[in-house]
Amino acid sequence: MPQVPGLVELVVASGKGGVGKSTLTASLAVVFAEKGLRFVAADADAEAPNLHILLGVDEWSREEPYYEGRVAYIRDDLCLGPKCGVCMKVCPYGAVEERDGRLWINPWICEGCITCSAACPVKAIRYRFRVQAGWIRVAERTRYGFPLVSAEIVPGRPNSGKLVTEVKNLAKSMLGGSGVLLVDAAAGIGCQVISSLTGAQLAILVAEPTPASLSDLKRIHRLTKHFGIAPMLVVNRYDINPDVLPELEEYAERENIPVIGRIPYDENVPRAAAAGKPIIVYEPGSPASRAIRGIAEKVATEILPRWREWWAKYRPEKPEPYIPVIIRPERR
Amino acid sequence: MGRVVRIAFATEKGGLDDRLADRFGRAPTFTIVDVDLDTGEVKGVKVVQNPGYTAGSGAGVKAAETVANEGAVLYAGPNPGPNAYAALQHLGVKIYTVTGVTVREALQRILEEVKSGTIQL
Repeated sequence: MPQVPGLVELVVASGKGGVGKSTLTASLAVVFAEKGLRFVAADADAEAPNLHILLGVDEWSREEPYYEGRVAYIRDDLCLGPKCGVCMKVCPYGAVEERDGRLWINPWICEGCITCSAACPVKAIRYRFRVQAGWIRVAERTRYGFPLVSAEIVPGRPNSGKLVTEVKNLAKSMLGGSGVLLVDAAAGIGCQVISSLTGAQLAILVAEPTPASLSDLKRIHRLTKHFGIAPMLVVNRYDINPDVLPELEEYAERENIPVIGRIPYDENVPRAAAAGKPIIVYEPGSPASRAIRGIAEKVATEILPRWREWWAKYRPEKPEPYIPVIIRPERR
Repeated sequence: MGRVVRIAFATEKGGLDDRLADRFGRAPTFTIVDVDLDTGEVKGVKVVQNPGYTAGSGAGVKAAETVANEGAVLYAGPNPGPNAYAALQHLGVKIYTVTGVTVREALQRILEEVKSGTIQL
């Protein structure tokens, strides 16, 4: 049984969506469990969580509402009513409405920006904090024998990065200081992906040989460099585009990203997804499954037990800051 | 007696013996340490709450503002995210990346690097 020293965070990310992050994560997790690795899987794609579907989780051990943000409401006993209407004029979102002769803030439109309460002459506007913004769900033991933590954000609510932070913290507390936190990140390089990568040591970057995937790989790779993470590359559907494959692999070589596996195009993969099973369980002998098993075994037996060496070898010597925007907060 | 500078460390509960937090923007606290660069003597320690910890969005920038408003010239801890990094730079706070140790241990490393000239404060 592979022993992993301390606590290590391994994130599966890709920049581009639909290149196989969750497909790979689900099968990696199954092999990790077979090998007796101590780990928790975390679905950090709060906007579109689906790792639990691939793992056939239909019942959660616990489900907790996640509260965040604020919405304004008007205290009728203090409000001067529609004849004042200052809040209605200043609200940037048009959330203040007149109802039955009174002013009312539509909580579905309110963004909690405090413009109205700053403008209100009689301070009649208050805030309700702890608006439910999502859920955190835990399966103590999936049918493949390992725990899964999953986040889901209510559509349109901001703050998915904070939810991901909480999911990771919960998963870490379940591990109790030793083992592997296997994080399935969202697509993109936004708030929740940054939150997935923060604090991680290793990242599996998934890419396919297409110009779009290569472009997004470069963006997510810059983020891993920013955070001083050691990346490794898995090329999915490596055989679909022989024209771009060399370009992808040259990029990896130039950037010192080890290629830890190449997965062929395999029609069994969408079939497995449709059946709600990890490909490695659905069709263990299929070409994709064999490739994924090779990757999973390498990660479980070669990389994770010596993750500190691996981290030291492949992380950037110095974190390379990725500063996409210029912002100038005031120093008071 | 030498020059005293103020350094902010991203921490969990805070204090010299606390381990560094594993994230900047949503670190629960910052431990603010005044240290004499020549003697290495700690002149003062205080713990401030990080408003970024509970922030829904813009956590890193709020954290950067907090560090700067405390008057720190150096931040030490895990690498801040892209926005926070830019904010710290614009606020004139230097960044020293260090993880997995206590505040005291990180402070020792910083003092050594100041002595050897690899960081200038």
